[in-house]
Amino acid sequence: MILPGLLLLMVIMTAQMPAGRVPAPVTLSWPDYFGNRVFLPAGNPVTEDGIALGRRLFYEKALSSTDQMSCATCHQQAKAFTDGKRFSAGADGVLQPRNTMSLANLLWVRQLFWDGRAGSLEEQAVTPLTALHEMGQSLVVSAAKLQKLPRYRALFRRAFGSDSITGDRIVKALAQFERTLISANSRYDQYLQGKYQPSVSESNGITLFYANTDPVRGTRGAGCAHCHGGPKTYSDLFHNNGLDSLPADAGRQQITGQAYDKGRFRVAALCNIALTAPYMHDGRFPDLESVIDHYSEHVIHNETLSPFLQQPLLLTKQEKNDLLAFLHMLTDSAFVTDPRFSNPFNNN
Amino acid sequence: MIRNCFLGLLLLTGMTAMAQQKPAVKVSGEVTRPLTLYPENLRQMKRTTVSLKDRDGNDHAYTGVPVQEILEQAGVTTGKALRGENLSKYLLVRCADGYEVLFSLAELDSSFTDRVVILADESGGQPLPAGKGPFRLVVPGEKKPARSSFQVTDMIIRFAKD
Ligand code: HEC
Ligand code: HEC
Repeated sequence: MILPGLLLLMVIMTAQMPAGRVPAPVTLSWPDYFGNRVFLPAGNPVTEDGIALGRRLFYEKALSSTDQMSCATCHQQAKAFTDGKRFSAGADGVLQPRNTMSLANLLWVRQLFWDGRAGSLEEQAVTPLTALHEMGQSLVVSAAKLQKLPRYRALFRRAFGSDSITGDRIVKALAQFERTLISANSRYDQYLQGKYQPSVSESNGITLFYANTDPVRGTRGAGCAHCHGGPKTYSDLFHNNGLDSLPADAGRQQITGQAYDKGRFRVAALCNIALTAPYMHDGRFPDLESVIDHYSEHVIHNETLSPFLQQPLLLTKQEKNDLLAFLHMLTDSAFVTDPRFSNPFNNN
Repeated sequence: MIRNCFLGLLLLTGMTAMAQQKPAVKVSGEVTRPLTLYPENLRQMKRTTVSLKDRDGNDHAYTGVPVQEILEQAGVTTGKALRGENLSKYLLVRCADGYEVLFSLAELDSSFTDRVVILADESGGQPLPAGKGPFRLVVPGEKKPARSSFQVTDMIIRFAKD
């Protein structure tokens, strides 16, 4: 009886509090060649204080049922926000059904997760926070726990204009922080900006990545860019890349219910790819060499295999090495050591 | 044991739910009548056959419904109504794999052009092959077939507002 009364009083108090200073808006920037097809919801503008709060929440273990796990347990900066495991364990020790995804350049991703089931970073964040086998705690409990911790009331006030701590604000702050995770300083970026001269092998790798094999014109290519193409090495597409004849995980089909989506998964971004092993939605390939071997000679025909992968590539040893050299160009060391994305609790 | 049965049941019901999902094309945006077109709807509409040079370099005949016909059914500004600000409208075609291509409405309208773009559902009397069908946009007369996109799921009409 007393508790609801107290809560009501608190609500009234916050409502009457003078609106403090307005959080300072932040303009995110990226190279022109990324294009501006970004997804920035009007209802959650990115602000300095929102980002600072989101970063803290990303590393906050109180958001899990055991107080032992944060987003960063699975999404570790040094590994381009992955954890090197085939399947990561949730707070309760149960393994995730799919491989942890790398987090970078999420502004350009419209459908999140391997099957594209979340339409925004705000919506996405609810899943890891509340899923039984991930952080396993309701947003209401998370909000109540944060209320009791020092500093959060002030941080929420600065980010959102009032003391109230809610699930909605938690996911909004997390999303703001994630939107700042822009990786654009790999050697490939530097090459695109005219600041880096690629080696012969890297240069051949770039050509192979973009080109298709055409016996008539005598060109050799690996055709990767059909799906992973463009300077972001990402396109917002779903494909079946021939991993299995009968996919154990139906992927996109589970969301759309359409037979033609069976075994289709979101095309993964390749930035920082050398840091995010193991590979594919089920982490089946331990290294990039195995990935290249897959595309070169082990693509498995199945009813929904992408039309772009019908012909085996049969790359030579040298071509494989060149492609590998290109994939290694995509590592952005500045991104994985950027103090703005690091654990803020280490500094306290 | 009980848990396993339960899981089996869940999987089974999940699978039947999936199997029941029929492919369709949704027409939405600046329309007065949003449509969801199933295969049988397309078969009952005005149909036509056009020819397209595919990636193999050969001409193939495709049959389906003119896009203009679909837009008219959805109450989009076509023909005489395609003037003034309506000339800044576009059609965005989205496919199952996320691929998207764009047309200005005037590109698709018989009062502007003789080219007939269709939403095809058969070729040579056969349903379209898996991977391309059930619905393919067929855009005749282009140097490459990149806008003749496969597995269409959405047709979205909007104003360009920049
Ligand atoms: C237990 C490990 C784990 C934890 C903890 C975790 N994630 Fe993830 N994350 C994953 C896995 C696994 C996927 C892919 C899941 C899928 O596709 O079904 C993923 C996917 C994502 C994606 C989608 C990326 C894309 O390109 O689509 C985002 C964003 C993300 N996580 C953010 C977060 C945030 C924010 C938190 C904390 C609130 C968090 N994750 C906590 C394992 C984890
Ligand atoms: C037809 C589209 C398509 C083509 C062509 C393609 N890929 Fe992929 N690629 C995908 C999809 C889809 C995934 C995710 C598949 C999954 O996990 O089930 C993927 C995943 C990957 C991954 C793993 C990403 C991760 O985070 O685990 C790498 C690396 C990769 N591709 C490299 C390449 C290279 C190199 C080529 C050219 C030889 C290539 N791809 C060609 C669609 C494609």
